[in-house]
Amino acid sequence: MHEELRAALDAVHAEPEFKAAARAAVARRARRRTVIARPVRLALATAACAAVVVLGGGWLYFTPTARISIDINPSLELGINRFDRVISVQGWNDDGTALAETVDVTHLSYTDAVETILSTDTIETLLAGDAVVEIGVIGDDDAHCANLLAGVEACTAGRQNAHCYRAGTDEVEAAHDCGLSYGKYRAYQELAALDPTVTPEQVADMTMREIRDRIAALSGTAPLQGTQSPAATSDSAAGDTGAQKEPGHHGAGHHGGDD
Amino acid sequence: MRSEQEVNRAIEQYADTVRRICLVHLKNHADTEDIFQTVFVKYLLHTAPFASPEHERAWIIRVTLNACKDLLRSVFRRRTVSLEEVAEQPAPPDEHRAVLQAVQALPAAYRDVVYLHYYEGYTAPEIARILGKNVNTIYTRLTRARGLLRQTLGGEADA
Repeated sequence: MHEELRAALDAVHAEPEFKAAARAAVARRARRRTVIARPVRLALATAACAAVVVLGGGWLYFTPTARISIDINPSLELGINRFDRVISVQGWNDDGTALAETVDVTHLSYTDAVETILSTDTIETLLAGDAVVEIGVIGDDDAHCANLLAGVEACTAGRQNAHCYRAGTDEVEAAHDCGLSYGKYRAYQELAALDPTVTPEQVADMTMREIRDRIAALSGTAPLQGTQSPAATSDSAAGDTGAQKEPGHHGAGHHGGDD
Repeated sequence: MRSEQEVNRAIEQYADTVRRICLVHLKNHADTEDIFQTVFVKYLLHTAPFASPEHERAWIIRVTLNACKDLLRSVFRRRTVSLEEVAEQPAPPDEHRAVLQAVQALPAAYRDVVYLHYYEGYTAPEIARILGKNVNTIYTRLTRARGLLRQTLGGEADA
């Protein structure tokens, strides 16, 4: 059987039409592969580049490089990316949260965002009284923060009771741990130095005017009047909790940057 | 992807092998043509190098056997019988018809081992590697296939 089977199968050969069909199929497939492969590879490369651009761009866009802390009584912080756009708005007390929910400033330039917030009815009403607004630029990139501070100062130019300052990020975490925005935390530290019984919870719902007045009363300086209010002197150094305060109004009290 | 020249060389070299496996497993011209196309297009797309000519031959045999099984398993095929299948039964030469028909009448699993052992000359362990089966399974199939052939061919099936 062995030899017979071998002889039987040896007599079998592939018919030319099978070989031709195989060659034709191979040629078709090779052509298709060549024709399709190039656009597909190009499309894949383009998609990969697009993904890198989108993901990288997204990362660059959505990574905050600085914060702007706005404190009146509403306390809120704006996360600012390297393109000077607002990418987050966070309220740090009830009023701040309410305000953050009513104004839509995400993706606006930080100057537009600050102007929008300062021109809301809530803030306009407060500032029309004797409220104090403190706007801090917090970040570690000196050049970027200096530009932001200049922009914020331009936004608040003409407002007698607005004060701008610059700070590093060292104390921001401590401020957030206390449930305070950085601006209010600064004021809290000043007040706590004079009145150790004061707590962050108490400060959270006080207006900046109330805090400043209390600091003035405890330190024996003249009470603040009208639009005359203490300008938080800026000072780039994080950790400077306002020891260098001096009375003044907008402009005089501003420090343009990181010295 | 391999070059067309390389595939054409393989077609010349292995076409008879593919044809013999198809003869053992399939019963019509169109299916055989399909298998030829499938096997050599797979060869075109198979970029991994072969360690030796024997390795390449074993690869061709394994791909052909699998392609035949896939074709026979396809749902469409199970439910239909083409006109070609009726019309184009390849007729083996008269002098070999009996033995070929006896092999074709075996269950598919037995046909594989008979072909690989008696024609290609592979040992049971080599067949086990090609088919991905246990060596003992191959021995069992060979024994049973021999028994069936002996019954069909009237005691002519030797070891």
